[in-house]
Formats: sequence, structure tokens, C-alpha cells
Amino acid sequence: MNESLISPFNITHPTTVQTSLFALASFARFDPTGRYVATARVDGTAAIWDLDTRAAVRILDGHVKAVSSLDWSRYSRYLLTASKDWNVVVWDLASTCVPAQRCATLRFDAPVVSASFHPRNSRIILALMSTGEAYLVDQRKAHRARVELCEVQEESDDEGAGTSNRVRSAITVARFDPSGKHIFMGTSGGYILVFNTRTKTMVARHRITGAGAIKGLEFTKNGRQLVSNSADRTLRQFTVPTYPPPTADDEYIEHELEPTHRFNDPINKTAWHAMSYSPDGEWLAGGAADTATHKIYIWDISNEGQFANALDGGREPLLYLHWHPSKSSIASTTNQGNILIWHCPHPERWGAFAGGFEELDENVEYEEREDEFDIVHMPLPFSIPYDYLIFLQEDEADMIRRKMKEEEEEVDIDTVPEAAKPREIQLHGVLPSDEDITWADEEPDDDRQNWTMRVIMEEDWDI
Amino acid sequence: MSNEMDVDSGDVPPQVVGTDAGPSPAEENDTPGTDISMPQQPPDDSPPQPQPPAQTGPNYKIRYSLSGHTMSISSIKFSPDGSKLASSGADKIIKLWDTYTGDVLRTLVGHTEGISDIAWSNDGDYLASASDDKTIRIWDMKVGTEIKTLLGHTNFVFCVNYNPNSNLLVSGGFDETVRVWDVARAKSLKVLPAHSDPVTSVSFNHDGTLIVSCAMDGLIRIWDADSGQCLKTLVDDDNPICSHVRFTPNSKFVLASTQDSTIRLWNYQTSRCVKTYSGHTNRTYCLFACFTNTNGKYVVSGSEDTKIYIWDIQTRQILQVLEGHRDVVLAVATHPTKAIIASASMEKDLTIRLWYDNSEGA
Repeated sequence: MNESLISPFNITHPTTVQTSLFALASFARFDPTGRYVATARVDGTAAIWDLDTRAAVRILDGHVKAVSSLDWSRYSRYLLTASKDWNVVVWDLASTCVPAQRCATLRFDAPVVSASFHPRNSRIILALMSTGEAYLVDQRKAHRARVELCEVQEESDDEGAGTSNRVRSAITVARFDPSGKHIFMGTSGGYILVFNTRTKTMVARHRITGAGAIKGLEFTKNGRQLVSNSADRTLRQFTVPTYPPPTADDEYIEHELEPTHRFNDPINKTAWHAMSYSPDGEWLAGGAADTATHKIYIWDISNEGQFANALDGGREPLLYLHWHPSKSSIASTTNQGNILIWHCPHPERWGAFAGGFEELDENVEYEEREDEFDIVHMPLPFSIPYDYLIFLQEDEADMIRRKMKEEEEEVDIDTVPEAAKPREIQLHGVLPSDEDITWADEEPDDDRQNWTMRVIMEEDWDI
Repeated sequence: MSNEMDVDSGDVPPQVVGTDAGPSPAEENDTPGTDISMPQQPPDDSPPQPQPPAQTGPNYKIRYSLSGHTMSISSIKFSPDGSKLASSGADKIIKLWDTYTGDVLRTLVGHTEGISDIAWSNDGDYLASASDDKTIRIWDMKVGTEIKTLLGHTNFVFCVNYNPNSNLLVSGGFDETVRVWDVARAKSLKVLPAHSDPVTSVSFNHDGTLIVSCAMDGLIRIWDADSGQCLKTLVDDDNPICSHVRFTPNSKFVLASTQDSTIRLWNYQTSRCVKTYSGHTNRTYCLFACFTNTNGKYVVSGSEDTKIYIWDIQTRQILQVLEGHRDVVLAVATHPTKAIIASASMEKDLTIRLWYDNSEGA
């Protein structure tokens, strides 16, 4: 809502640090509303910070070992934390208990390196073990299951010895795409595997030439673009193909994906810790795995992927970064546990303090409209008594008439302008009545749009 | 529906006026015909003459008259669900009333000086009060206790409001500053050197990104809530003292009451006044103005001629005048969902009145 007053054409990438939160965090992620960041700490606790007050508003103590990953549900009501203590804990933030109580715990047989909610239903959870196995856990009554997602092995091999003896390569990354229809997984062998979430069958296998082990995958909000981070220290952006619905005989597509862009640091050859797209998908931020400085590289996707800027966040090396879901803001985490909130500052306009003035960058010759200062004679509105008007100067009476006429115009005081509303994004590959979407929407959780986290008024805060 | 008049307002015998119980002398003018008449016109700014009552126009009638305060009532606010009404006064107390029965539910005592303004949090669990004792206090309305005191203002605190998320409070006062507070931690986050005279009104817009403030210096300022930067200043040519300001429900305009007996609707993008509402009297006090769109879109304001005025938002005509109070009507409040108006008056009257629009069957 404030954008129109600040400057409507100024939405760009962040440039400077706005604030630093001393959170002892190993990484931090914005919630879908952008009001909070969730932070994970090595001692096994997670915390939620309110960006308005810049204070921790919830402490979630549920793990005995470091939190390895966390994810927000669609409308921010649920948060999951995954940990090296073999557990995934789901928190319901509607509860105002202090200390916070977990609402579900999933136990696994190995340390959990990452876990995420299905984008449409927090009761479907994808978890990845440090042993390289990925599980899809469905907690809904009608679908209750825990399924391991296994790469299909070729039975009849064209090339003979090459792949038949191949050890099943470990899965290193597992993520839902933004619609939740597919699960994308990166393997240590440099493949991206695509699974259908509903049928849990593999629908595609993409070889990424020269990449080595896949370390990370990130999507744009609409799911059209995908960026991978891999052992060869290069970020590759791909256009996500459209996958046909899964067939009964478990066929899959074997296809090599060719990146549309490659991003790397040609001089220092730094690796990347994390990457994140801007909400409109026009910028990509990469967090450099530099051991001495805190560097964020920004590429302009809308402009052929050109390198746009390198942000310097000081001496504390970067561990993680995440772009705000709607604003030009980034949260980056330092190895000292501080969270830097980056923004794009607007210059203070001192002219705003004076009423009726507008600041100009340079002199403008004012050209009056043809009739701007003309006095137009109109019939008097019946509502102004005649004897009142005769005391006024003629032009003054005209001014009143003009003003009255202007005020006849209808005003709309209730409808929120479209631009200020969150936009419904057309997700890639989603059909109007999509079977996979209906499946995910069965037995929905209690996460509703416009859900707000209640403020806990605590006497003493122990952070 | 009309005979539920047995009201017990607790400590003070209630004065209850029923719609069907025959008008008491003070409410004799409440027949629809005389409601619309405008006995005194301020000579200097003649508004459009009111039209005869249209079938669809407002038809508010008194339902309850609540007594309990012992000094001027400064502010009244409906809870977000509309079930309760909170009132504050110069007698240092806050009272909580049941909107539908008129019962006193609670009296909150704690401030050491008079209270100027109160505000509900969006969940209705908390109430913030701004007082001449230079503090803002947060009350837990479930239990009825004070849970936080916000210290920082160096003079009387005059106005207070929550943001939509209710994690922030904004306040203004006679120290000429606008302050933004972290409610849960009772900590001042921002002090804006906003005005050069006492700040009379301050509030957030519907998504919490903007703050609007106005002051006795006659300026209306719009601030970026996040950075605290001033984004816009609205000023009328004659610079009248500005006593109340609020955003429209969609935040496209601000409604500002000024002490030249005028309420203006400003388009703050273009700095133009798009509507002018007049006919009431406002020269001395900071009167509240409200929107209601329960069965018609109106602007509602109290007046120093002891009446309450209801204007049509678009035509700017006075549609109804509510008479009955015996002193200046400082505060008015509109129910969030039903056609109910609450009004409160000063020393010579000391009542809160609840007006129901029967045509809606409320």
C-alpha cells in the first residue's frame, strides 16, 4: 500500500543492510507473508522473529541436535523443523502456549538433512535423510503412508555394463515444485529426478552435464524456472519442462536438461551456499561460500542473466540467504549467527514535510492548461443561498461552484486497489482441474489465508 | 426485540430509553420527520440543504443510554467483533459495556490522570489507553488487568491506535511526537518528530504500511510505517487545527476533521480534497469522525451543538441528525457489522448512547 507513495517504479533488488538481528542462527527463512523470519540454531531450537518489532516472538524448543532445515506452510500457520536428531517436528503457531508445544513429530532412522511441507497441504511432508534416501510422509487419514522415493533402475540396459552395475546414487536435495505436483531431487551423480507427488512414481530423469553432485535447487515463484547449485561451483538456470501425467506402466522421460544461463564467479571460483529468486523472478541472488567476506551476487534474469551487483555484508562469512516473498529484501545469515536484513533504501524526501509542494529534479517550465485560470460561469447550485454568495467576489463564487462540482464525483472508499492485493500466481504446469491438485487438497489443514499470528504479551522474555 | 430494556449498568442506576417505551422528554425530537431538520445553520459555511428522508436513508433511534462515568467521556470504541463497547474518560477509568444489553461488564482503574483515547487490538483481547499521566497502558480484557505500561512520552498522551497485526502501537501526544511501540515488550521503537504542536490523532492504514497523523499545527502527515519517513503532508489553505484523521477502509483516502466545523475526505496521492462534509459545529474540541457502511455509506461525527450528524459519503448531504445529548458529543463509534452508533458526551451529560437503525432489524 505504501509503494505508490514511495515510488511506483522503484522496485528493484536490495542494496544495503537495513538491520541486523542477533539471533545465533545457522540460517533464516522469511514466512510467506514476509512479516517474520524463522531462524534455526545449532542448539536445536528455532525462533521466529517479528520484522516489525525486530524481536523474537516464538521460541520453538524441540530438538536435541542442530536444526538442519525449516519450512513454513502456505499461509504461515505451521512451521516444520528438521534436525540431525532424526526428527521432524511440526509446530502450530496458532497455539500461544509458552513454551511452545509441538503438534506433530515424525521420527526417521537417520539424521534429517532437509524437510518441507507440500505447498498446498502441510499434512504431506517430504524429508531427506543424510543417508541419501527421501521419504514422502502423508499424514492424512485416507492416505496415511510413508513412501521412499526410489530412482527407477534400468532393467534392460542399452549400454551394458555402464549402468547396470551402478550403485544407486544418493539423493542430495529434495524439494516440491511451487505447485506441489512434482518433487524434484538432485543426486550425487549429477542428475535431477522428477517424481509425481500423488503417484510417487518417477516421471523424469534429467542429466546435468558437468555439474557433479547437486547441492541445491530453487524455483521461481511461478515454477517456470529452476536454478541448481552443484559441486562444480556453477549455478545453472533451467526452464522447467511440462511433464505429462504419469502413466500406468511407470514410464519416465530420460532427458538431458540444457541450462539457459550459467552463473559463476570466474575470478575467485567461489562455491555457492545458497541462492534465491526475487518474487517476480527477475533477479537471482547467490550467496558466495567465501571464507573471509559476506558476499551476495545479484544477477538480472530479465536482462539475459547479466551480473548486476555484488553486495558486501562485512566480515562475517555468509551461510544462507533467502529473498523476501513480496518485497525487495533479502535475509542473509552470517557464520556468527547474525541475520542481515537487506533492503533498498528510499532517499528521504524533505519536500514531503511541506504541504502542497512537489520536489523536482530540475526546473520545469509550467504550462497552464488553456482554461486553467479562466472563470467559467455556471448556474449556481441550488444549495448555496443567494444572499450568501453576493458577499463573495465573483471569482470566489466560481471557485466554490467549481469545488462543489468537483466534489460530485463518486469516491470508492472500500475496494482495495488490485495492485495492493497479493497476486494469484499462475503456477507452471497446473491445469484448471488438476487431479494432482485435487488430491493434495483432500483433508486440508487448518491453514487459512489471512491467518495472523497472535501477539503473546509475556512478562519476561527469555531469548 | 424492542422490549429488552431491562438494563443494569452496575454502580450507577441506568437511564434506559426504549424505542417503544414512549419517548422521554429529551428524546421527543426523535421522530423521523424532525430528525432530518437542521435547526441552526452556521452562517459562515452553508452546506447543501438536507433532502426529505429517503426510504433508504439512515433511521437511527436511541436504544440505550448508559451512565457510569463521572467526568467527560473522551473516547468510545467497539470491540472488533462488536459485542462490547469500551469507553474512557477524564475520570481516569475505562468502562466496558455490552453492546446488545447495555450492561457494564468491567471497570478498569489504574491511570493516575484522565484518559484521552483507547484502542482495541485486532483480536479484541487487549485494550490500549492513552492518558495525561504520560503513559499508555495495555489491559488484558479477558481478565481485566493492566499488563503493560509504555513509558516514553514526555507530556500528555492524546491518541493511540494498533496496527492491523496488533504487534505495534502508534501514539501521539502533547510532546508533539508520534511514537511507534513494540506492544509485547513495552518498548519504544520509533520516535517521529512529527509535528510542531500537540498531535491529536494518529492511526495505521489497513495493511499497516502507512501511518497518518494530524496535529494542532493543522498538518496531516503520512508516514512510512517501516522506515518512519514522511511521505506526504496535506494542508488546507486556512490551516485550521486538525482534530481527527483516519484512513478509509481501503486506505485510498483520509478523512480529517478540522476545527473550522468541517470534515474533509482527502485523496492523499494527489493532495486534493475530494469531499467536504459540513453542517455540524466543531471549533474547540477534538471530535471523532467515523465511517459506517452497514446499510448505506455514511460519515458520522459528533458536534459541539450536542447532536450527532450523519452524512452521505457521496452526496455530502446530512441524512440524519441524532438529538438527545445535553453537552458536546466528543466521541462517536460505529459498530463493525451492525447498524449501531455509539456516542458519548461531556460533563453536563455524561452518558453514552447507543443508537440502533431499526430498519435493518438490529
